[in-house]
Amino acid sequence: MTTALIPDTLQGALILSLIDFLLSFVVISFIGLLLTGFPLLNRLADWVTVRRVAPAPIVAAPTPSALPVDDQGIPEEDIAVIMAAISAMVGGEHRVLHIEPAQHGVGWLAAGRQAQHQSHQPPRSPMR
Amino acid sequence: MDQLPIFLHALLDQTGVIHFSLGNLVMILVGAIMIYLAISKHYEPLLLIGIGFSCIVANVPGPPDDVPGGQAISALLYVVKEGGLFHYAYEGVAKLIIPPLIFLGVGAMTDFGPMIANPKLVILGAGAHLGIFVALILAKLLGFSLAEAGAIGIIGGADGPMAIFVTMKLAPHLLGPVSVAAYSYMALMPMIQPPVMRLLTTKAERQISMADLRKVTKLEKIAFPLVIAIVVNLFFPPVAPLITMLMFGNLLKEVGVTERLAKTAAGGLMNVIILILTVAIGSTMAADKFLTWQTLQIVALGLVAFMFGTGSGVVTAKIMNLFLKVKINPLIGSAGIASVPIAARVSHIVAHEENPKNFLIYHAMGPNLAGVFGTAISGGIMLALIGVV
Repeated sequence: MTTALIPDTLQGALILSLIDFLLSFVVISFIGLLLTGFPLLNRLADWVTVRRVAPAPIVAAPTPSALPVDDQGIPEEDIAVIMAAISAMVGGEHRVLHIEPAQHGVGWLAAGRQAQHQSHQPPRSPMR
Repeated sequence: MDQLPIFLHALLDQTGVIHFSLGNLVMILVGAIMIYLAISKHYEPLLLIGIGFSCIVANVPGPPDDVPGGQAISALLYVVKEGGLFHYAYEGVAKLIIPPLIFLGVGAMTDFGPMIANPKLVILGAGAHLGIFVALILAKLLGFSLAEAGAIGIIGGADGPMAIFVTMKLAPHLLGPVSVAAYSYMALMPMIQPPVMRLLTTKAERQISMADLRKVTKLEKIAFPLVIAIVVNLFFPPVAPLITMLMFGNLLKEVGVTERLAKTAAGGLMNVIILILTVAIGSTMAADKFLTWQTLQIVALGLVAFMFGTGSGVVTAKIMNLFLKVKINPLIGSAGIASVPIAARVSHIVAHEENPKNFLIYHAMGPNLAGVFGTAISGGIMLALIGVV
């Protein structure tokens, strides 16, 4: 038990309330300030990670392959879009050897697979 | 045959029937209303069912105490009195063992991401605590001592464990009414807050939508409990046991390698504590102790504290809007009162009613979690200034 800093009077209650309320703002603002700096932790972690990972040996970039074999009459612009999408997904180091329309086969298996795939498709625009 | 009435009277005397009073009936009704609200309105059933049930049983008088001419005592109070099952449960509350364990569980089930993602909203965690001080001053005006007034004021912090903790330090004899008021009003937030929130905001303000928050990384979530534990232990030793356990529970959750411990703290352990706590609190609601002028004053002041806290949170958010380019919905200000996550849910529901496309829950959780710290800070400062550490 320590000595009371505030007298046990109405005036004491007013002083206590004022000090406590204002100090609460100050302290919680300090916590907010600390939290504002939290994104810096991520930058620090990124910096440490970059430094710890040994630089990858420089490998000659693979020679761009020839265009994928197109023996199915797929339009060139479709091939360009497919290549760009693959590049965006897997990066530069890849080779697309062959492009052909998917063959679903027949029967229950094909129907099930088709239903599964279509369940994820966005609804088509009525304009199409 | 002449002996029969005497025999029946003696028999009746061994039951509680002749000790039943109007006060008991009133308190049984109070307990029944709590259970009704929990079941039909889903107002914090985990708290209200236990408190309501034990309130009812505590007001069913049993035979006189085991001393000749002793006072009628309910079966529940038999298990609460020394040597009884819940005596030790109540001691756990009174000796401040249970509150830190509650905070451990709360920490293990809380995602502090919304608070980390939008630090400017933590101000609302302080702004929504005006109710503490309004109740404190009113209690002093009603003749309570400063320490008692502090314990009554902390009801407005809307944080059960913190209310118990501060009350046990400042005015242990008020533990029953303070904890009952704190937990009951927390459960009744969905009734208390919306009228105040609507009164202080315009329809346009209530319809403000808020942009998505940034994603908080795992590293930040792990750093948070460590940083806060250090800050609170450094600056607020009086309330450090509670916040330290809150942060420990949260660390168990966030590190991702102590799933078993986090699950136990937030699940099994928490459930056991809720059972003990609710019965321990409800058992203090016997009519002869609860229906006193002092208790009724405390309960009324608690309501005032909650209403002022809600209002001051909303007003703080409106003041912040004067300086912010991107406006915040002032309804999230009321969530700063603490009472996690009830107050945040109330903010979300009121906003959702105004604009069905508005989902404020994640935004409201930020000030709501900050409110826990706001209550702890207010309580810590109060303990230091009143001289009880």
